[in-house]
Amino acid sequence: MEGVADPRTLIPERTKSRRAQVVIEQAIKAFFGGNALVAVIVLALITIFLFREGFGFFGQNLANLRLYRQAGLEYVDIIRGNAAQHESLSRKLSEIRLREVRVMEKRNVPLEEINAALAPFDQFASAFSDTAENLHGLVSDLTDQASALKEQLFARAELLAQRNQLERSGAQTEAEKIVVPEVDRAAALARLREGSARFESVSAEITAKLYNLLAQAPAMPDPAGQKHFEQWKTRARKYLAGLPAASEKLRTWSPDTPIPWYRSISSFLFGRDWVTASFWQDWYGIIPLLVGSVLVSIVALVIAVPLGVASAIYVSEIASRHEKRLIKPYIEFISAIPSVVLGFFGIAVVGQAVRAASQSHFFKWVSFFPISERLNIFTAGCLLALMAVPTIFTLSEDALRNVPRGFKEASYALGANRLQTIARVLVPASLSGIVSAILLGLGRVIGETMVVLLCAGNRIAIPDFTQGLGAIFQPVHTMTGIIAQEMGEVVRGSTHYRALFMVGLVLFTITLAINYLAQKFVARYRMSIG
Amino acid sequence: MVSVAEMSEITSPTVVNQTAPMPNPANPKVERGMIEIEQLDFAYGTNKVLHDINLSIPARAVTAFIGPSGCGKTTLLRCLNRMNDLIDSARITQGSIRIEGVDINASSVDVVDLRRRVGMVFQKSNPFPKSIYDNVAYGLRIAGTTKRTLIDEAVEKSLRSAALWDEVKDRLHVSGYGLSGGQQQRLCIARALAVEPEIVLMDEPCSALDPIATAKVEELIRQLKEQYTIVIVTHNMQQAGRCSDHTAFFYLGRLIEFDDTTKIFSNPGQRQTEEYITGRFG
Amino acid sequence: MTATASNSRRVHLVQGILFWIFRLATYFVLACATYIFLDIGIKGSRTVFTSTPPFINVPFLTEPPQTLYVFDYEGKKMALSDRQFRQWKVEHPGTEVEASSIAYSAGGIWPCIVGTALLVIGSMILALGIGISSAIYLSEYSRNGPLIRLVRIAILNLAGVPSIVFGLFGFGLFVIFFGWNVSLIAGWFTLGLMVLPAIITASEESLRAVPQGLREGSLALGASKWQTIRKNVLPYAMPGILTSSILGIARVAGETAPIMFTAAYAMKDELPWQVTRMTDFFFQGVMALPYHIYVVSSKIPQNEYTERVQYGSAFVFLFLVMLIALTSIILRERSRSRLSW
Ligand SMILES: Nc1ncnc2c1ncn2[C@@H]1O[C@H](COP(=O)(O)OP(=O)(O)OP(=O)(O)O)[C@@H](O)[C@H]1O
Ligand SMILES: [Mg+2]
Repeated sequence: MEGVADPRTLIPERTKSRRAQVVIEQAIKAFFGGNALVAVIVLALITIFLFREGFGFFGQNLANLRLYRQAGLEYVDIIRGNAAQHESLSRKLSEIRLREVRVMEKRNVPLEEINAALAPFDQFASAFSDTAENLHGLVSDLTDQASALKEQLFARAELLAQRNQLERSGAQTEAEKIVVPEVDRAAALARLREGSARFESVSAEITAKLYNLLAQAPAMPDPAGQKHFEQWKTRARKYLAGLPAASEKLRTWSPDTPIPWYRSISSFLFGRDWVTASFWQDWYGIIPLLVGSVLVSIVALVIAVPLGVASAIYVSEIASRHEKRLIKPYIEFISAIPSVVLGFFGIAVVGQAVRAASQSHFFKWVSFFPISERLNIFTAGCLLALMAVPTIFTLSEDALRNVPRGFKEASYALGANRLQTIARVLVPASLSGIVSAILLGLGRVIGETMVVLLCAGNRIAIPDFTQGLGAIFQPVHTMTGIIAQEMGEVVRGSTHYRALFMVGLVLFTITLAINYLAQKFVARYRMSIG
Repeated sequence: MVSVAEMSEITSPTVVNQTAPMPNPANPKVERGMIEIEQLDFAYGTNKVLHDINLSIPARAVTAFIGPSGCGKTTLLRCLNRMNDLIDSARITQGSIRIEGVDINASSVDVVDLRRRVGMVFQKSNPFPKSIYDNVAYGLRIAGTTKRTLIDEAVEKSLRSAALWDEVKDRLHVSGYGLSGGQQQRLCIARALAVEPEIVLMDEPCSALDPIATAKVEELIRQLKEQYTIVIVTHNMQQAGRCSDHTAFFYLGRLIEFDDTTKIFSNPGQRQTEEYITGRFG
Repeated sequence: MTATASNSRRVHLVQGILFWIFRLATYFVLACATYIFLDIGIKGSRTVFTSTPPFINVPFLTEPPQTLYVFDYEGKKMALSDRQFRQWKVEHPGTEVEASSIAYSAGGIWPCIVGTALLVIGSMILALGIGISSAIYLSEYSRNGPLIRLVRIAILNLAGVPSIVFGLFGFGLFVIFFGWNVSLIAGWFTLGLMVLPAIITASEESLRAVPQGLREGSLALGASKWQTIRKNVLPYAMPGILTSSILGIARVAGETAPIMFTAAYAMKDELPWQVTRMTDFFFQGVMALPYHIYVVSSKIPQNEYTERVQYGSAFVFLFLVMLIALTSIILRERSRSRLSW
């Protein structure tokens, strides 16, 4: 290297300060890079943390399901299922009665006469529900036994875990101090299973009584009512025919049949019950919440898409300059309304209005009106629509506006009018942009919390779809709502806590997928307009 | 292991005895403002756009790069002040560029110093959204000059030498965006001259100008070569003929011919050059 | 000839009708929003404004919430706040009244305003500091490799993740895992992280909108990278960054879900600065306006006594958030017309 020139000689007199400057430059770059790194790491952490807390759910839920079987709760629920069927049949009877009364009221039959006409039916109904008395007694006895056993098993498992923990951390003496009581599961279960025999006798009794009852069932005063009653009778017979199968099930039931690991996942993803903090058995099935979220979003989009797209077309193609300058910021302004204020407005105004409308004469012809709950899917959907409109509007308007002028001019040059140009040229050219706008609107709606928490009614149940469109006037709970409502009360690390994280994870995945799709459509839009 | 810097020294013997950047009478080969390009290959990603360029650009003269669109003129020009560093995929795959005998791509060369000495005027004029005055003063302020009088002087001097002074002297503090296209281009030239570079690279400086503005810029170029080494890219044959001393003709990323402008235009050595100049290219 | 004429008249008619439908749809949306603004504005201003000077209901804005006591006394309906009720009892010794109490319905919302302001300031400092720096790195320094592209896509997608998921994360990590409990600092981090992706994305977009020519022009004059960024990129990207930041403020101020179980208390008697030790300041929960609105609209009944505080809080909150949003919209419209290359 001797004799080699200092390559810095390009400007030799500034070398020193330049060197300092280079160091500063490097430091600045490192600072920004560091910040970016922090951001990326933290955001990655969120994802990892969500997954970590969420996936713990499956193990715990499996234990939960195993305990359900080992303590015999499952056994009791077989009998309970029959009792529930019986009750539902009873309910059906009172529904039939109600309808009958309404029909007669319309014919201006006085109340006494109605009651007189229905007296045999009432007798029948009460006799029917009486038949289940022993069944209910059996269920409640077994329930007590099984939950006692579950309690014991649970306590034992807790103590064992505690002792293991101590042993692992080396506190041998303390570990030995913990006495883990023995639970005689076999004996308890044997006692429980004596229920099989009882069930058989009870069901024989029910069968005999019911066939007897059915044989001398009274006739209904009204032919339509008779039809309903006949349908009911078929159901009742089916129920009776199912009783031996239940006995069989009880006999072959075994507390030691293993529960496969995937049951823990499938019971979450396809479970139709979300029951928590119950004395009996907790179920973490996401279906009612998912259905709730989806229904609310559908209602919101059905309202928001036509409005959003129509106003986007109006503003970008039809409106005058002055209108445009006013409408655009105004609609964007709407998107800044805080969701909790919208939710409050829903409770204070919209819910009442919806119910009042359903009671009005104007809507008399609608079969499922008047509605009973003012907070329901529809109320929440209306408000969410207002949140989705600005998103859909802004992005669709962008898409329409960015269609190259040439497309439009070419169409006009061919003699097309404005409507034809909009329908044949502009909308097709910006269709993927509009689809992406709708998707982003969906993402916003499905992830919205406060409006659904306040206005969707918060009843954890799959709506009764037999009512057709009436289903959207029933209260539901949603994925976002359940997290907001239950997160504050859970014990850290409990199955319930982790179940909520799983719901969050599902939400996370759904919104990511929606976003990703939306970006795909944006990319396609960019391609299509060149 | 041999570092890049060392390697360039091995391949470029002229560097070995080089000790000062100033014109070195002991070594006539190295002159202030001269550029030597040796066996240069250049690629954007996998797309090789320059092949084996060997070119020695003399100091204090105007050298014109001509050639059909896409042949790599801009690319080569941007190599000379390492503007291509900004493009992620761009790489010099082989060869070296030496300015005053120093390999400008050596790791020890400070790219900021290099760019201060090798100014550039871009194909598309790009004044900053600042006042005319601030546009011209930008380079000086960046270099640390704070004295108002010094800056005032330099601004006037460079605007004068860019033949813009008379047109703007009354509105130095309005936005550079308010100027016409031709004035904007001259503003960019003034801005480049204000930092007193030794080499000025001009990428089609007249492509957006009317004949009068073009004439002004050409006049300017002729004056500037007293002090500066100038490399100009142009599509205009007359312009190349009018204001350059040497001309390099490129075709498909290769240097086809390099010679005195008069020679190139009157008696080109290659058939391709002749066809291009006479417009029979196809 | 006549056939074409009538045909074209029909086409014209169809077009006219359809255009009117579009117009109606647009104005329907505007009308709905206006109705909300008016409803909350009118009913809320009954609480917030008064008919006598100073025309603003100062106690409502400067007092903490109190329980309201409603009872009949000598044929009159009395509605007294907690403090008034106690005083009334002192003044009427020996009278037994059956008072029904309604939580939160008396007093004002001052602690909520303070809490929301603290939450917004802290989380925005966090989000803007990290967000803008990250954006500068991503757009100016990073080489556009596959890794950076992945990071960019991830950040873009995270911007669409629902706020409740961030709340869930904040609760799990900050409140429980770090043991910060329900606290200001947990709220700062949760809200800050929630808007971070949006701020990075928007800031980077503004930076990239600055033409490359400006950077090249500056670098070609011998400016260093940082000089170029500071003098020739940031100033022109600033309006865009500012707009997105202000929108971020509106979002942070308006969100309820993420603070529900990370930072917000339904009721707290002390103001945030009434702490014994400095560190307690960061580790205390605060009241917040959005959460207060949630509480008063879901946990207490809807009647004539609660309307005051419900509409009053909603009005103040809506007013503040809309003011911020309006600032950002105006700012953007302005910069849009000023800076265009
Ligand atoms: N940033 C880039 N990335 C990838 N390829 C590029 C880039 N810039 C230029 N190229 C390619 O390099 C080749 C040479 O481009 P260059 O701009 O140097 O041509 P030119 O001779 O200046 O053309 P013109 O006369 O039209 O300005 C072209 O084929 C072009 O497609
Ligand atoms: Mg070029």
